[in-house]
Amino acid sequence: MTRKTWRPVGGRGLLAWQAVVLLLLFAAWELAARYWDPTWTSSPLRVVERLIDLLKGDLYRHLAVTFGEIAAGVLIGGFLGSITGLWLGASRFLGVLLRPMVVTLYNVPLVTLAPLFIVWFGFGMESKVVLVAISAFFVVFFNAFSGAQKVDQDLLQNLHLMGANRLETFVRVVVPASMAWIVAGLKIALPYALVAATTGEMLAARDGLGSLLAKAAARFDMTGVYSVLLILMLVGMSIANAAVRVENYLLRWRRANG
Amino acid sequence: MRTDSALQRPPSATNASAPARIELRGAAKRFAAHGAEIQALSAIDLSVQPHEFVALVGPSGCGKSTVLNLVAGLLNPSEGAVLYSGKPVAGLNRSVGYMTQKDTVLPWRTAESNVGIALELKCRRVTAQARKDRVARMIDLVGLNGFEKHFPAELSGGMRKRVALARTLIYEPETLLMDEPFGALDAQLKLLMQDQLQTLTQMARMTVLFVTHDLAEAIALADRVVVFSPRPGRIRTVRTVDLPRPRDIFNVRFSTAFARLHEELWNELKDGIALGTNV
Repeated sequence: MTRKTWRPVGGRGLLAWQAVVLLLLFAAWELAARYWDPTWTSSPLRVVERLIDLLKGDLYRHLAVTFGEIAAGVLIGGFLGSITGLWLGASRFLGVLLRPMVVTLYNVPLVTLAPLFIVWFGFGMESKVVLVAISAFFVVFFNAFSGAQKVDQDLLQNLHLMGANRLETFVRVVVPASMAWIVAGLKIALPYALVAATTGEMLAARDGLGSLLAKAAARFDMTGVYSVLLILMLVGMSIANAAVRVENYLLRWRRANG
Repeated sequence: MRTDSALQRPPSATNASAPARIELRGAAKRFAAHGAEIQALSAIDLSVQPHEFVALVGPSGCGKSTVLNLVAGLLNPSEGAVLYSGKPVAGLNRSVGYMTQKDTVLPWRTAESNVGIALELKCRRVTAQARKDRVARMIDLVGLNGFEKHFPAELSGGMRKRVALARTLIYEPETLLMDEPFGALDAQLKLLMQDQLQTLTQMARMTVLFVTHDLAEAIALADRVVVFSPRPGRIRTVRTVDLPRPRDIFNVRFSTAFARLHEELWNELKDGIALGTNV
């Protein structure tokens, strides 16, 4: 009530304060674990120890599996989603005809499909790649569809008058004009991809961070659970970070705006 | 068609029986808007000969742009016929280069990549080297040196217009349709661009249909000036500009012949505007 104005904060001061808050939280966790039974809560020091063990052990294999599933799934799903989205979005007739069907399919909760894909594609990476691909497909499809619909018709007409055929206007106008939408879709798809991959791994897999988590939980190994969760958090952050970099590169022509 | 450096088009023997490049026969256009029908263009007759430069002037909303859209095949006439080289225009007319009033430069391509896009198309593909040479020459011609790698968002409005002009001229379309191409430019740059346009269209012997509301620009550039009356657009006067070519764009407007033409056509235009405000 007494402070009426908020001064903008930022820079090193803010970072230092955030570090302090984080340290206090970890300290409280550590103290609580020493005071009460650490079986269910584990403790920061135990987690750190476990992380070191994991780093010495086979963490890299699990990381590689999960990353591989996400990369392959997002590439396949994103590519198919872009192409179908752009295609249906650019053609009025196909859009009206097929979009409702895609919407209907999208209503099936993805997780419920996991058992089906595990039956079809087995315990290996394939079933998870399919799950990730489907989750990426829908997000990118809807974005690419909107992007293709909002392409400036004057740009298309102009290229047609120059003598461009349909494929040429598609490649040279529809695709680049929708690129901002597709990239935005991929950015949204990435966190979902992590969810899809780890969910699939938790249900049935020998490798991957999800299977590591499920195995730890099955043994009531809370330290293991927290360690994997921490790793997943870092994985999620690095994926989001990479996505921003890719976006900045692909859409570098927009930077001049402003 | 032409694939390499040939900006020059061989002069064709003037044949009286050859069809006009562009011919509008009683072509009219009506639009339906908000339940009412709007007459954008009354039935007009106009023919443009090959290699002729015709300027259309008139108040805004008089249907000048509609004429260009009809010739480009973007619109169909509600009445009458639009012929191109003697054949009715059906669908997009690929023989024309159309520089619209609106900025249609592709924002994700650099200036030079925008200029060269027509040469990437299958219908007139040239080798990468030939394209590079022609783009460089075009960039030079419109004075965009040093801005080749810039994206449109990094260019001024006038520079974007020059990119659009270079992009249209580079493939030397048989006919050039231009809708107030220099409207947004400052006076100095406008003269420079008009000069370049005259040089290029004369060299390549293009047919040009040029819409403007700048009467001085119309007279300086055109072989014939067509004055439109306000909506519903109809042709008020057609006047041949008998100033010798090549014209000195920078000084032609100070000649007495130019002044006489300007006064004569200005009176036509002025009457039209006064008439328009009364309606």
